[in-house]
Amino acid sequence: MNQRFIVYVVCLAMLNLGSPLVARAELVTTLQAVEASTRAQDLATVNAALAREEVRARFEALGVEPAQVETRVAALTESELRTLAGQMADLPAGADALAVIGIVFLVLLILEAVGVIDVFKKFP
Amino acid sequence: MTARGWVGAALAIGVALTLAGCAGRGPLLDPASAAKHAPRVELDSTPFFPQERYQCGPAALATVLAASGVTTSAEALASAVYLPGRQGSLQPELVAATRRNDRVPYLLPPVTDALLATLDAGVPVLVLQKLGAGPFPGWHYAVVIGYDIERDRIVLRSGTERRKEMSARQFLATWDRAERWALVAVLPGTLPPAPDFARYMEAAAGLEAVGRGESAAHAYEAAARQWPAEALPQLALANLGYARGDFVAAERGFHAAARLDPADAAARNNRAEVLRQLGCFNLARREIEVARVLAAGGPLSAAVEATARAVATQQGGDATGCPPD
Repeated sequence: MNQRFIVYVVCLAMLNLGSPLVARAELVTTLQAVEASTRAQDLATVNAALAREEVRARFEALGVEPAQVETRVAALTESELRTLAGQMADLPAGADALAVIGIVFLVLLILEAVGVIDVFKKFP
Repeated sequence: MTARGWVGAALAIGVALTLAGCAGRGPLLDPASAAKHAPRVELDSTPFFPQERYQCGPAALATVLAASGVTTSAEALASAVYLPGRQGSLQPELVAATRRNDRVPYLLPPVTDALLATLDAGVPVLVLQKLGAGPFPGWHYAVVIGYDIERDRIVLRSGTERRKEMSARQFLATWDRAERWALVAVLPGTLPPAPDFARYMEAAAGLEAVGRGESAAHAYEAAARQWPAEALPQLALANLGYARGDFVAAERGFHAAARLDPADAAARNNRAEVLRQLGCFNLARREIEVARVLAAGGPLSAAVEATARAVATQQGGDATGCPPD
């Protein structure tokens, strides 16, 4: 008897999952209002909670200190989280200007190697 | 020239052209802009934070934040924006870290004129540049602190260089290839020079979205003063009122927004919800019906339908003390 009662309660509770008893009104936030007027419609194609979870995992994988991961994720808006979740590997990571010097050096090296110029006097 | 020579020369020319961007585009700092802006600007007092290896993001961000009155350093910001695995910093994180320091992360319209106007008004600009070429893209953040129209030059705080001059042609090529991304840190309550309404409101709303409500309120108030005919700042302030539980003030704000823009579905949806909270059910029903028509098929339709369902569960008419329609 007692067990059956518990089973009924659990069944009822499970039926109730995902079906809120009261209708919840939704206030449109200011950011939603801005984005609705400036962007295409598919704002919520990626679930915000999933995007947040993915960004958190990627930050950890990319070596962000565990203590910092949460604060950094919390400072991002939902659309930024979606951008990062989708394209973190493709987004430019601003680093430093040394790469350019490398390129120039590379060009000079090629020209030197094929004999167009002769600036590196000790170069074979 | 030998065959090897030709290959080498072709390769070198190709790399040089890529590095130079699209050459031959005509005058870069339009002489006509000399009429609108000071012919020469250099913001000498802009602080300088020399970067560590790969840390131009924290250094450039520290520069614009310090210029806007924040006490900070590149070291302090590294833990907020540097990604060790990418050996660099990503744009959304610079924006987010600006918010964490209670500044409005305003992104400039991608035109040279906006850049010059901002500098002319005394505000340094953080820019992204793409310096490398082909398989070696070198992304770099720097801060533009000046220009000289006559000499066609741009002045930057860049990397380990306190003062770096670039020809405008060279700078604009590198900025172009980074899609002319430019960030300004704005003190809430003030506006960036020559502000763009939508860009400013998006930046301000981001502050609210990550829990910087007080800074957002100052930003919205400044927007309401600057653009009195726009509905969005009224809606934004009313949303903050609603969040405080001040439903009467919120209702007034949403009503003002709906009057300024009768086709604003967000304002009508939110007004219907606050009217429901106030017990003004007849008014709420009327407002949500208008909102449903306006939002049908659009990005706000799900929110409006949810509010409509909530309003539909309410019995009765308007309580006493309800606002006039």
